[in-house]
Amino acid sequence: MNFNNKIAGICLVFLITSIIGIASADLTQAQAPITGKVFVSSTTFDPAVFFTGDKGTVTYEVMNSNTNTSVMLNHGTFSDADLHLLSGTYDYSNTLGPLQTRPFTFSILADVPPGDYYPTFSLSFFDSNLYHKTMVQVDNTPLQLTVVDKPDAFTIGKKKTIYMQVANPRDNEVDNAILEVSGKGITASPSRTFIGTVASGAKIPVNFSVTPDQETTLSLLLTYNNGNNPHEVHMDIPLNFGTDKKQAYLVMSNVEVIPEGGMYRVTGDIYNAGLETANTVTVTSLSPAVPQDPYKISVARTLKADDQGSFEIAFETDGSTSIPIQLSFRDADGNVYNIVQNVTVPATSLSLPKDNGPPLVPIIAGLVIVAVFVGGWFIYLRKKKN
Amino acid sequence: MVRSLLNILISPGAFFADLKGEREESFTWPLVIVLLGGIAAAGYGYLFGEVSGQMMAGALPGIGALVTIFAALGALIGVFIFWLIWTVIVFALSMAFKGQGSFKRTLQVIGYGYLPQIIGSVITVIVAFEYVPRIVVPKVTTAMMQDPVAMQKITATLMHDPAMIEMTQITSIIAIVFLLWSAHIWIFGLQKARGLSPRDAALCVGIPVIAYILFMIYNLGVS
Repeated sequence: MNFNNKIAGICLVFLITSIIGIASADLTQAQAPITGKVFVSSTTFDPAVFFTGDKGTVTYEVMNSNTNTSVMLNHGTFSDADLHLLSGTYDYSNTLGPLQTRPFTFSILADVPPGDYYPTFSLSFFDSNLYHKTMVQVDNTPLQLTVVDKPDAFTIGKKKTIYMQVANPRDNEVDNAILEVSGKGITASPSRTFIGTVASGAKIPVNFSVTPDQETTLSLLLTYNNGNNPHEVHMDIPLNFGTDKKQAYLVMSNVEVIPEGGMYRVTGDIYNAGLETANTVTVTSLSPAVPQDPYKISVARTLKADDQGSFEIAFETDGSTSIPIQLSFRDADGNVYNIVQNVTVPATSLSLPKDNGPPLVPIIAGLVIVAVFVGGWFIYLRKKKN
Repeated sequence: MVRSLLNILISPGAFFADLKGEREESFTWPLVIVLLGGIAAAGYGYLFGEVSGQMMAGALPGIGALVTIFAALGALIGVFIFWLIWTVIVFALSMAFKGQGSFKRTLQVIGYGYLPQIIGSVITVIVAFEYVPRIVVPKVTTAMMQDPVAMQKITATLMHDPAMIEMTQITSIIAIVFLLWSAHIWIFGLQKARGLSPRDAALCVGIPVIAYILFMIYNLGVS
């Protein structure tokens, strides 16, 4: 009996084992085609390219491409030897229905040198695991801030325009780009320019004008966001005073001075010998001359480079022979420039003459001649009488 | 005759003492002398007329030539008028000294005495040639023609031009010198023409001449 019981026990064990083995073998063969159709459909890094030290997210989209079978998902993890995971893993179980997609998002910190990294996403099914590697870049190339054009020299109190360009040499776009202009003793307009999103490889022009009150250094600060990470680029531009070699330069020629009606009328030509356009050119006389109607001020038209205009002004003087004539014009920004040239008027006073007293020399000469004549005749008559 | 005419300049007493017969009554040479003086004066008038013409040309286009011609003719005729007026004055003054000669003889003598004025006028024209181009001539506008004050002002402006002032002073001195030279001749001529003593003749000629010269000097002072 005892022997029989042992035999019976052994047979029961084999029987149970066989039943379980058969059952297990049947289940594995049935589930494998199902989990094989679950895969990572897309991976998204935000930002797409990290700077060293940037924080960001990576999102894996897991899709169940089975048309009529659900799968059980469990334990989604992100792992990499260099990139640091800031958020936790997905430890709960969840069912992903047929043709459904589920995102798995992880926060990461790219405190690594520039380069390419291949972090791994893994997901467990009840019978197997899913592993997915994707490349992510860490690149420290900043936005490029370039001076496209600026005046050769600045003048105190004169507004000048500086033409800049913001370029993005990175492989991803950046957001919220803002250019700020500052400096001691300057007025910038606009002092802050919102540029917005700068796509990869894009070039965006940015212009601003500066009115300096002193020689100084212009400070430019370009800030932008890579994902949610702020970054900045700084640039200094020295503002030195001097003569703008391109600016309009007016020259008078063919000047004719005509005394007329107690005043002088001056006509002539004006040439723009500069390289830029002179707008609203006006001509008038300065002290000691007193401008007179109807030609107190002569307004010439806008003179482009190498253009010629004419003017006609009238003035009275106090007898001065050198009269300053002021040529004024505006540049494209409205800055006023003055050029003063002297014209020589004839040595005569067309206003009331100065009272310098009678001319003594000719009067004395006349009287002496008369005296000699009278005296001569007086002596002659006396001699004749005697 | 030319030789004796030159005698007028250096020895007028001898010249008038030699005037006898037909020559004593002839007006040919006095007329020639005054005419030549008039032509020389017309030259000066022409130059000065150009200045006036330039001044007026802005208001009245084309008037420049007219003004110039009238100025030249005026100077020419003015010399003859001056000859006549001067004779009248001297003749009238000589009447106070009981002068006996005719008016015609006095006119003839004054005409001879005009000879130095020709030289003076020629020198004046030469001076004017030098100075007139340097004068800055103000222009009269049409509006100014209606305004006497403006016309007065612009005339003053012209007269106060430095070149004009200098020319006026020089020509005045020239005029004084040659007028006195003429006066010297007139004194000798008047003695003969009106039968006056040298003293009376000197007074008859000297009073108006000195008065005229003092007037010229006064004008120099106030201009």
